[in-house]
Amino acid sequence: MTVFAPGFFASSPVHVALVIGGISAVVCGLVGTFTVLRGQSYAGHALGDLAVTGGSASFLANVSPLWGFAGIGVIAAGIMDMIGIRRPRGRDLATGIVRGAGLGLAALFLYWDTTSSSTTGVSITILFGSMFTTSTSVVPVVLAFGLPAVAIVAILFRPLLLSSVSPELAAVRGVRVRLTGLACLLAIALAVSLSAITVGAILSTALLIGPAAIALRVTNTPGRAMVTAALVGLGATWIGIVLAYDSFYWPPSHDGWPVSFFIVALIFFSFLVSQLFGRRPGRVIRAEG
Amino acid sequence: MPAYRLIVATAAGAAAALLVSACSSSAADTNSSAGKVVAVGAENEYADVISQIGGKYVTVSAIESNPNTDPHTFEASPSVAAVVSAAQLIVQNGIGYDTYMNKIESASPSSSRKVIDVQQLEHLPNSTPNPHLWYKPTTMPAVAKAVADDLSVLRPKDAAYFKANVTKFDNSLKPWLAAIAAFKAAYAGTPVAVTEPVGDYMLQAVGADIKTPFGLQADIMNGVDPSPQYVSLEDSLFAKHEVKVFVYNQQVTDSLTASFLATAKQYGIPVVGVYETMPVPGYNYQSWMLAEVNALRKAVADKVSTERLVP
Repeated sequence: MTVFAPGFFASSPVHVALVIGGISAVVCGLVGTFTVLRGQSYAGHALGDLAVTGGSASFLANVSPLWGFAGIGVIAAGIMDMIGIRRPRGRDLATGIVRGAGLGLAALFLYWDTTSSSTTGVSITILFGSMFTTSTSVVPVVLAFGLPAVAIVAILFRPLLLSSVSPELAAVRGVRVRLTGLACLLAIALAVSLSAITVGAILSTALLIGPAAIALRVTNTPGRAMVTAALVGLGATWIGIVLAYDSFYWPPSHDGWPVSFFIVALIFFSFLVSQLFGRRPGRVIRAEG
Repeated sequence: MPAYRLIVATAAGAAAALLVSACSSSAADTNSSAGKVVAVGAENEYADVISQIGGKYVTVSAIESNPNTDPHTFEASPSVAAVVSAAQLIVQNGIGYDTYMNKIESASPSSSRKVIDVQQLEHLPNSTPNPHLWYKPTTMPAVAKAVADDLSVLRPKDAAYFKANVTKFDNSLKPWLAAIAAFKAAYAGTPVAVTEPVGDYMLQAVGADIKTPFGLQADIMNGVDPSPQYVSLEDSLFAKHEVKVFVYNQQVTDSLTASFLATAKQYGIPVVGVYETMPVPGYNYQSWMLAEVNALRKAVADKVSTERLVP
């Protein structure tokens, strides 16, 4: 069996997947590092769940689910900030309540989707992603959401890092902690929307925090962690696409396995390996967000 | 049927069953007072045949008739449960296409209710890959006869009337069957592409050569993502002009089928729209089927698309 099954490099669905998945993985790696550093993995997960709401709403509006993923993420980030994501004690509660309400709306939208118009496969597309059936017209939108997310973490690199480690110290040094936190949450929301179009809304946290968690295990500075996370995410996504393409010739159905399965599985095994053999076991940089 | 859809269907069925007990008695009272047989077709093409056979002695309703929705993802509501549980005669497709009907029927048992399951009528196994039985020329004559038989049990004194209607129905199918035979004689072996298998029985009847792999058709029907190999293969059928017609299911659509449609048009492949439920208004079963074969002929002979039968 060859690594690249026949037609891999000529296949236009593969080209689109490599581009969209690649951009998303890099953005998620860069933003995800701060998500993990700031202890906001649960917020990232909740934003992923809420992407289901945005995705199902975008089918009602007949636009690419990416618009819904990003739109709902930005709104939810604002709400979470408003009702107290900064206080450690209120944080999980605020996140959980917004998440519950959002998924309730998703149930309504999905019902409307299937009963009012022909939206075959809408649930699979939203929950588990449809990279190989994504149109090339989505590529500019992916860039339009990815670039601001990267810009936020690049511009706010220092203040974000400082407020992640010690909000009090950051405030004393003149960092506008709340504004920085909100900007970071927006970057996470945008990254999650890209992750959702790549591996699906339900699996989107895997691509956001998985590579970042691995990178923080095996590197010792946040800058290196960000680059490593981007590379790990990119590797998992591209290898996942190759495996999904090859799986066309695998049992049981000779019909291909879902690409999101491969990407998430690769990230999971890389995480296990990094836990076992990471250079700095047990020393994850943590913040009291 | 994928597992998640089974779960949805089961949940909908259970919810419907709870509400049936509250609604069924009143619905049955109002309907039976008219003195006609209350009948239900799970899909409106079956309702149409019931209505043609039962004529003035039946009131028929159809559960699925919206040409803009996908019946594969249909979810039964409490009002559907009320209609089904009050019915004395039901025609349903089977093969997992309308499983919610079985759930509602078993939730409101009735010893006098007649249920015609077309899968059972035709002795088809559950593993039958293509559930769209109404496109098969032999299906509806058998359904019409079974409907007449059951109506004759419910209203024995009108048996002759129902029998006459079956003869009338069978005769009215002749233009369609003739069109199929004519197409087959002139264009057997015509290569065609499809999105999903809704029209496959008709395409097989007219002798067309379906170039789209069944794996891709099943993926689109079941709403799962097809492999990129299938997507490339379908695109190349259009790009290399390896097919003469693209048979497009207007009710099972997503961004992928839309992109196939755009590609087909880009390479000038004529498109023929096919349906899961009878397009309304303007058609009965036989005129719908005839229109589909005529549309195929126009596509092959004149390279003219008939994307939709209804606006």
